[in-house]
Amino acid sequence: MTVVEDGGRTQSVAHTPVASVQDLRVHFRAKAGIVHAVDGVSFDIADGETLGLVGETGCGKSVTARSFLRLVPMPPGIAAGGAILFRPHHTCRDCDGAGCARCHHGGRVPQPCRDCDGAGCGRCENTGHDTVDLMTLPEAELRDIRGDRIAMIFQDPGKALNPALSIRDQLSEVFYQHRSRDLMADVGLDEQGGGAFSSMLRRKASLRTRRLEDVLLAMPPMRSRRNELRRAVDGRVADALAETQIPNPLKVMDRYPHELSGGMRQRVMIAQALACDPDLLIADEPTTALDVTVQARILELVRELQQRHRTSVLYISHDLSLVRRVCDRVAVMYAGRIAELATTDEIFANPSHPYTRGLLAAIPAASHERGRLTAISGSVPELVDPPAACRFASRCPHEAPVCRSSLPSMSPIAEDHEVACFIHHAPSGAGERPSYERRVR
Amino acid sequence: MVSESTQAPALTAGDSALKVRMRRAGELSASLLKNPTTVGGLILIVLMIAMAVFAPLLTEPNTPDPYQMPRDWGAIAEPPGTPGHPLGTTNVGGDVLYGVIWGARTSLRLSVLVVSITVVVGVAVGSLAGFRGGKVDEVLMRIVDVFLSIPELIFALAIAAVLGPSFRNIILALAVVFWVKYARIMRAQVIHVKENEYVDAARVIGDSPWRIYRKDVLPNAITPVVVQATLDMGNIVLVGATLSFIGLSEAGIAEWGVLVSEGQAGISAGRWWASTFPGLMVFLWALAFNLFGDGLRDILDPRTETTR
Amino acid sequence: MAAPAADRATSQARDNLLAVRGLQKHFPIKEGAMQRVAGHVRAVDGVSFDLNRGETVGLVGESGCGKTTLGRCVSGLTDPSGGGVYFGLRPGVRDELDGLLATPDGERTDSERTQLDALDRTYRVDRMSGAEWRHYRRNCQVVFQESFASLNPRHLVRDIVGRPLQVHNEASGGALTERVVELLEQVGLGRQHLYRYPHQFSGGQRQRISIARALALDPELVILDEPTSALDVSVQAQILNLLHELQQDRRLAYLFITHDLSVVRHMADRIVVMYVGKVAEAGPTEAIFNHPEHPYTEALLAASPDLEDDGDEALQALEGSIPDPARPPRGCRFHTRCPVATPMCGWEVDDAVSWLEDHPGMFDALTGVTRSSDFDAWLTFDGEEAAVRLGATLEDGALPAAMRSALEELKVDENRVRLRFTPVDDVQLTVRGEGHVAACIRNQVPD
Repeated sequence: MTVVEDGGRTQSVAHTPVASVQDLRVHFRAKAGIVHAVDGVSFDIADGETLGLVGETGCGKSVTARSFLRLVPMPPGIAAGGAILFRPHHTCRDCDGAGCARCHHGGRVPQPCRDCDGAGCGRCENTGHDTVDLMTLPEAELRDIRGDRIAMIFQDPGKALNPALSIRDQLSEVFYQHRSRDLMADVGLDEQGGGAFSSMLRRKASLRTRRLEDVLLAMPPMRSRRNELRRAVDGRVADALAETQIPNPLKVMDRYPHELSGGMRQRVMIAQALACDPDLLIADEPTTALDVTVQARILELVRELQQRHRTSVLYISHDLSLVRRVCDRVAVMYAGRIAELATTDEIFANPSHPYTRGLLAAIPAASHERGRLTAISGSVPELVDPPAACRFASRCPHEAPVCRSSLPSMSPIAEDHEVACFIHHAPSGAGERPSYERRVR
Repeated sequence: MVSESTQAPALTAGDSALKVRMRRAGELSASLLKNPTTVGGLILIVLMIAMAVFAPLLTEPNTPDPYQMPRDWGAIAEPPGTPGHPLGTTNVGGDVLYGVIWGARTSLRLSVLVVSITVVVGVAVGSLAGFRGGKVDEVLMRIVDVFLSIPELIFALAIAAVLGPSFRNIILALAVVFWVKYARIMRAQVIHVKENEYVDAARVIGDSPWRIYRKDVLPNAITPVVVQATLDMGNIVLVGATLSFIGLSEAGIAEWGVLVSEGQAGISAGRWWASTFPGLMVFLWALAFNLFGDGLRDILDPRTETTR
Repeated sequence: MAAPAADRATSQARDNLLAVRGLQKHFPIKEGAMQRVAGHVRAVDGVSFDLNRGETVGLVGESGCGKTTLGRCVSGLTDPSGGGVYFGLRPGVRDELDGLLATPDGERTDSERTQLDALDRTYRVDRMSGAEWRHYRRNCQVVFQESFASLNPRHLVRDIVGRPLQVHNEASGGALTERVVELLEQVGLGRQHLYRYPHQFSGGQRQRISIARALALDPELVILDEPTSALDVSVQAQILNLLHELQQDRRLAYLFITHDLSVVRHMADRIVVMYVGKVAEAGPTEAIFNHPEHPYTEALLAASPDLEDDGDEALQALEGSIPDPARPPRGCRFHTRCPVATPMCGWEVDDAVSWLEDHPGMFDALTGVTRSSDFDAWLTFDGEEAAVRLGATLEDGALPAAMRSALEELKVDENRVRLRFTPVDDVQLTVRGEGHVAACIRNQVPD
């Protein structure tokens, strides 16, 4: 299967999406065979939107998200095909991020394509915007994008923060890594020229000093300039922390992760992720480890910051009721493929894949009589060398023979609503077709 | 009632607990034998143990004590290849081949004795400390700390020296030194395993502490001890040979360390064989058990085990 | 200690199975090389409730509220530090016990003490022995959260599910196998699963095995400690349905411990809401969800996303974090985060200090706190200027209004500032409706 979905894509994206996943396939080598963890996933993330990626354990949502930054270990992982196109942006020069006609009131504009300078070519798919494929990008260029243009927040901030570094050190690293030019400007350094001293400071600003240089910088007369640099970094760190509404950031900076509560740690992670004002934020179950009252606070914060920075967010979660509060559009994943993709209101008002319906019905609600929850029978199939069949067929209550013999692909059923199910688009050829009236189990 | 589909292959009606356990043991051994270095170690171990077991058939046992080197006063310091003495003789007329073969028997005796004593004592002490906790744990672990504060070799050397030079005292000295390690490993394992909810589950059922220890704690805690014991089967011979080498064993017995020690004076005179062959055996013995022990660790590691 | 009013309110004279009375569990915090006890984490701090035959009581709260420790005390895995868990009290005996407990410890007569001691030895879980203990052990079982950790990886399903029967000498050999098959079939598994290891099953199936083991001795009470938290929602629905079915068939009582409000609303007849070791509110499920009386319950409900609410409505969040159970707040434990706190909710010196901590420049100048009580202390600063500045800031109304009003005295003396708050007793549970109690001074009906 190639990019089947491409032709039928109906989303009316006003301008080029910030990222497009095209027929992504990530497999894993295991004892029993090749596990097709992600098997032909395609979706776009529009500029400034929050896209929810929901599904149960092992559906491939986290692997998809991690592929954006190539955080999937290979081996045992195998990049089996597909692309993740990403279009880096920069702040709109006309309005300095305030929002104007030129940037569609987004405050950011895509960078012109490096090959055709905006004229449109094969590389940028005739959009004229700089486009990179994150799956094939050289490691060095990827490092520049990581933490700068694309940032990630993880489920467990206790594990994602280095326990040996103070909050100040964790966050200043990001600035040294990606904002060394601004730091140099802060302390009045030119990008070139000056003596050995200046180049030493320049290296310090991008964390490339040698041990001896560190010693030299710690001694007068260079010490005062170095401290100036440090103050500049500290200022930025404090600003980043203050933005996540951490009380008394100057105090928190000197703390270590284990001295902070779970909610505080998650704020530090968010501060770190948003420090460089990324185009895309990947949030992998960011509130699963938190208590509900704290979770609500963090969600509010993410939403607020996202609106202020106009960052696009890919929000990974297993919790449909949460995704409903947070996301603009929702993609439901099952067994390595997308089952349904629609705007949030549409998918909750009109769920059209039997799996989505099953998931929604399984959540206990006040109206359910006790003991009468609609469970989805069975469990997720093994993804070792799966046959060309609907992955949900073995658990689907409406299944027909055709579901076992061919693989449904995503097709639109309404504006902004795509489903991969034969109930909505019958396959060519005869045979019984599945329908909601039909019940096999 | 809906039931979930299963991932394990369908079982036939004739399945029983015994069959399943046998199959699992088979799977474990199969994965153990996948690694060529482990197989190499295993082959070496089998060969050397066979050599030790069949020593009386391979060479005529010395009388009255077969563990004493026979003396052939007519062939002193003969080089390898001499008729009747394929590996040569020592400077007191001892047959090197006899020393190599009966030395394997001595080594096997040494390592089996020391490892079984130390494992039993160490596991008992470690389990008691870890399982009971509290004051018992504190007292036992302070004792262990005292033992651990003295370097292994020097401690063994001191004990053997105090007890007087004899092979039995070497066994004793090694046993006194080595049990501490097992006690430490076992205690840490027991404390870790005890945290598991299946131990709580057994308590809720109302099972007795002893049976909980036997069924839930011990089997899940013992693996690292088994691996360490395998490695120590080799290491103990190495340390034992060291002690013998510096003269803490009786002179004239068929023991590799003693032979190396007695033969080393001749090396400068060109009589390399008297210490080289026994030395090589010590090396092979230690190597074989280390290779096998490493392989064992890989397949028995609980982390890799749960994913299988 | 138990609040007698609460006991009478939460319990009906029905078939009582479990009575928890003034339960406390304090864990010592040890410090330094000598392992000196530096304080106590008050994981559970005076909890009372009843559980009747065949009903489900939901125990909800956030991490660190003590719900898991409470579950361990009830299941006999941990001995409480105070109060007790009473199992199998007949109605008359329970009233007798409550009567005895109503008198404070020091004021009991000798005969009352003997009477209580006799009751304790027969009914109190941590003091039972012999036949009583065996009876309790058979009748109180647990299903744990982590289905993987709660099944011995080296045992086959037959041995795991059959073990309770073996321990209590109920069956062995072929008879045991048949009993196990029966149990497996009741939880939706079958004979083909007998000789498999736990790792060969999915999470949902493992939880079924745990349930089968818990049912083996035909208990009256099953403690469910977050039984579905590790499961996906579609599998969770299967397990919840199964639990309900089993309860109907066997008239089981469940103590359902969870943090998930939608699950507990679905499963529980009555709910106990805990916050930092104490009961904030307890009552019938519908009353708790429709007319919460404690601001913490309200906050929990408002913060939990639910598919039936309006999706565009923002979730209500709480400020601050859960207090340290080693130094729980005075008065009402929720007052530090409460959106409707009043001056009478227990404001204390610690609250002022943590407020300082959140405000740049103030905390760094603070060098010492000399307390004469939790409500009265001198704060020493490194300079007179800082003390004066603090005094001025506090006067200014920068403090939360409720805290400011509770401040009876604010005196600046050189580099020291005296803070004295109105002392307040710990808030007690009061009756709010049929079997509904809450520990909040708001809307309190005078006795």
